[in-house]
Amino acid sequence: MLREVPPSRAAGAAAIALVVAWSCTLSPVRLSVLVGVAATAIAALGLDILVARSGQLSLAHAAFLGVGAFTALNVGGHGGPWPLALAAAVGAGAIAATLSGLPSLRIRGLQVAITTLAFQVAAENFLFTRQDFTAANQVLERPALLDTDLRLYVFALGCVAAVLIVRRRLAVTAAGRSFLAVRDVEARAQCFGIETGRTKLLAYALSGAIVGLAGGLLALKEGSISAKDPFVLLESLQLVAIVVVGGAGSAAGILTAAVVVKGLPQFVGHISIPLTGIDLDAVRIVPIASAALLVVAVVAQPEGIGGVYRSVGRVLDRLLGRGTAGRSVPRAQPTATPGAAEQATALRGVPRGLSLEMPVRALLETREVTVQYGGVVALDAVSLEGRLGEVVGLIGANGSGKSTFVNSVSGLAPVTGAIRFRGVELVRRPPSRLSALGVARTFQDMGLVRAETVKENVLLAQTWLCNYGRLAGILALGSTVTRERELRRRADMALQLFGLDHVADERLGELPYGTMRIVEIASAVAAGPDLLLLDEASAGLGPEESHALADRFLALRNELGLTLVVIEHHVPLIARACDHVYCLESGALIAEGAPGEVIAQPAVIQSFLGRSTAASGGPAR
Amino acid sequence: MSGAESLLRVDGLCSGYGALQVLFEVSFDVRPGEVVALMGSNGAGKTTALKTITGQLKVLRGTVHLDGDDVSGAPAEQLVRRGVAMVPEGRGMLRDLTVAQNLELGAYVVNDRAVVAQALDRAYTAFPILAERREQKAGTLSGGQQQMLSVARALMSGPRLLLVDEASLGLSPVMTETVFDLLAETNRKDGVAVLLVEQSVLALDLADRAFVLEKGQVVDRAEGAAVRAMQGRLREAYLGRASTVSAR
Amino acid sequence: MAQVVTGLAAGAAYALVAVGVVLIFKGTKALSVAQGEIGAFGYFFGLRWSARGVPGLGWHPPLFADLVIAAVVGALLGLVIEQLIMRPLVQRPPLDGLIATLGVALFLALLEKEIFGTATQFAPSPVGKWRVVVLGATLTAERIVALGLAAVVAGAIYLFFTRTKFGLAVLATTGDPTVARLLGVKVTQVYRFVWITAGALSGLAAALLGPAFGGLTPFDMTKFALRALAGAVIGGLDSVWGAIIGSLLIGVLEAVVGGQVGARGAANVAVLALVIATLVVRPQGLLGTSGAA
Repeated sequence: MLREVPPSRAAGAAAIALVVAWSCTLSPVRLSVLVGVAATAIAALGLDILVARSGQLSLAHAAFLGVGAFTALNVGGHGGPWPLALAAAVGAGAIAATLSGLPSLRIRGLQVAITTLAFQVAAENFLFTRQDFTAANQVLERPALLDTDLRLYVFALGCVAAVLIVRRRLAVTAAGRSFLAVRDVEARAQCFGIETGRTKLLAYALSGAIVGLAGGLLALKEGSISAKDPFVLLESLQLVAIVVVGGAGSAAGILTAAVVVKGLPQFVGHISIPLTGIDLDAVRIVPIASAALLVVAVVAQPEGIGGVYRSVGRVLDRLLGRGTAGRSVPRAQPTATPGAAEQATALRGVPRGLSLEMPVRALLETREVTVQYGGVVALDAVSLEGRLGEVVGLIGANGSGKSTFVNSVSGLAPVTGAIRFRGVELVRRPPSRLSALGVARTFQDMGLVRAETVKENVLLAQTWLCNYGRLAGILALGSTVTRERELRRRADMALQLFGLDHVADERLGELPYGTMRIVEIASAVAAGPDLLLLDEASAGLGPEESHALADRFLALRNELGLTLVVIEHHVPLIARACDHVYCLESGALIAEGAPGEVIAQPAVIQSFLGRSTAASGGPAR
Repeated sequence: MSGAESLLRVDGLCSGYGALQVLFEVSFDVRPGEVVALMGSNGAGKTTALKTITGQLKVLRGTVHLDGDDVSGAPAEQLVRRGVAMVPEGRGMLRDLTVAQNLELGAYVVNDRAVVAQALDRAYTAFPILAERREQKAGTLSGGQQQMLSVARALMSGPRLLLVDEASLGLSPVMTETVFDLLAETNRKDGVAVLLVEQSVLALDLADRAFVLEKGQVVDRAEGAAVRAMQGRLREAYLGRASTVSAR
Repeated sequence: MAQVVTGLAAGAAYALVAVGVVLIFKGTKALSVAQGEIGAFGYFFGLRWSARGVPGLGWHPPLFADLVIAAVVGALLGLVIEQLIMRPLVQRPPLDGLIATLGVALFLALLEKEIFGTATQFAPSPVGKWRVVVLGATLTAERIVALGLAAVVAGAIYLFFTRTKFGLAVLATTGDPTVARLLGVKVTQVYRFVWITAGALSGLAAALLGPAFGGLTPFDMTKFALRALAGAVIGGLDSVWGAIIGSLLIGVLEAVVGGQVGARGAANVAVLALVIATLVVRPQGLLGTSGAA
């Protein structure tokens, strides 16, 4: 089933093909320059993975380029065949970048950027001055296969294409989705089964591998490198400029920027501005201009050249009548496609690693759960149960500890006490293991990635189901393709169940707020849990939407057999949907029972109104 | 009661957070020297209203008038200089600064050092707990003490209108009553008008007038004696109709 | 011991830049790596005017005036950068601000190359050629002045934060700009102030470091600024005292390691190691408060 290609895409592809074909007709000297440009472009694309997908800034990428180049020279100089030299360059780049990324496991982005800065300075002043490392007297012989400039150029183009394919694979597999989740919603990404530390390091490793390839390419082109000039801080900053001016995340923009910044000064001697008589030396002007453009891009045009391309593409599409019609999403309540419910029961059929009993009564048992932050008691010996097939409600005034409760079950709060799910103790289990056990949750303020499409987010929530290694996914090894297809099928089922298939390809952040919240619930259901924890799912919803939400909860229980724990402020919703209700006040349980009973209790009413209850007083929270 | 020029007047105010509109045509006012309670449960839009008045959120439609002058969208710095002080949600403590420094900052817009020194003395007299802890970092105070510091700090600039955002949040009902008593006294002694944005019905005990917000709209209002009677209707607003059905 | 003294003197000059970086960070939560080039720009202006005369006036400022010119130009440049570039970025994630200042540093360095040329600027000392011997180390005039200036700045900042109303306003903005606004603080004034002050301090640092290192080429000051940055990180990005102590530490570390270990660039590795160690063991720095950055 071929998807419709917008005319802008087709036009762009054709333009690129033409330019590439033409470039092959250039003189050998120019081709040689273009190989250098290609290397820079590859390095920038590698840096972009870190910047765009991981939200991390590296100021050491020129150093990694050098590491790659010198490694290739060393291997080649000692007699290794050139493919080995390239592979070694890739590996060395990956290792160097991963090392520089280790601090990101403990500290925030700004400080990580500083460590990469320090790394760059140390590398250029120490590492690259050591003869044994820089292989000063080694020469990497160009293989017969690539001995003409044209052949080397074509090879370079092949490398660029390979990197573009890797980027594409990244975007459509678990690895890329995990990078984004860690970038935008770090701590919560664990609830999808993502291990944040490993994910961050993988991003560095991948970025470094690509830059290493660029270094190897440079080594092939030059044969021997005598000076460290291409690998100094200035070059790192230029790479950042190329990524930002090109537009983080946009391959087309970055390639353009690389060609302009690196290629233009070599090709165009002088730039004359017509009518003014000003004649500028390109070699001197282009770097200054790109620095100025960098600042302008950050302040005024964050999407860079890529953003310009996108705008032009949209205009073109609209002119040719194929624009994205009807950008306004209907405000009506999304309703399930008929038959979706029966299909969706297949979502429950997921493999569980451990052999867990399906308990007779309580799916979720919490005993004497206490959470303390410093001297403040957020939860005070709370014992409650979620029985199999029940919709359990947890209500309480603001600050009563409801969210803390959900956080303690999902492993995001420090707990003393016992929390058992299907007989398995959850306390002290890493949060990333919970989805595999069968626990899924939503967040009060939306724990999804707004920059991604609805479908991508639903796929993201199923990360624990991936069953393929991140790297294997990128390289499309083994069962990756079948697994991805399976995940997409599940995502479709979940979207149809919630009536969201018509917005599957919309960016989450552009949807109406109410729809966003439904997407989050759909994502959690897609992960195939037995227990669904919903943290203030009605926050921000109007009365009709809240009413419909209550109906959805009941449907999830009746049609899919899920057990729900619903944390709510909006008491009428609880009254409508829940079988059993607990009420919290200042971290302690003050009532439980059928919804009608609990809500009518004087203690509960007073708690909501703010009056003293029997056990009042004591220090403030 | 009638004909008194409003100190603060909000007309048809609409605002929200990006994709989410929270306030829909909200109108209320505060007259000089009176205590007005703006009640509502969570998510009703109370804090949004205050943030819009103090320029932290953009006004989508509607106006805000102070002394009859249009101040819609005016930043907080300007309002403070016109005699409006805010006790923010969550207390707005400058945690790493001392109690004394926080109080001094309350009088930032006052240029006369003698007046500032006087205000400081008055604050320490009215709040002896703060006097004891004047060199302590604000972050080390308990919730109730922080709330008192926040109120004392707001009073340092000698305002005509106090905007109090959910002072009861995180405080026990007893502590809340203490804070409200302080506000009532300030209102009585110094004639400072108070806009009390609250969830807790304890606010009704000191309000001259009250408005109820629900899902971003004013759904109820009362004046004078009728204010106390609002409690029952509030119960319904917070807990839904089920709360009025007696237990089986 | 002589190395320690030399190191302290170098560290004092770094401290001038580091204090500026920390002021900007405290006031605006942005990290500026452009402080080096901002200072260098001012210094180059001063040198050129001393050598060729102020255009239009024909007056050759005496060498001492170069200090003042550097500070003034640096301050003006800081103001322009704050108004045009950093103000629009206030609500954005901090990395955006960092990238913007990177762009500014790059732009200024390349612009300097264009306007002033790449040859090392002959850099006569603005404070004369006298020397002092302390504990076995010979300190040139600029070094002594740098030490003195750093001490004066430290004192001034202390008084500023503890005795003046505006200093309190800056502290309030550091803690919570929204609350500061609610108290009547004009945070835009705070932003301008920190950038102007940082710019002036950078100018002074450049004017004193230039002669000390035998002249400046474009980008040199950025390399110095990186050490100042390391000092700020080690001392704590939101602590002015931390910036001073951290910079002195870096200066001493460089002098000692550079003296003992023969390998070139070993000092850089030592600094890198110290930065990483600090960020791993105590990410907020020696005197910083956690939750910063």
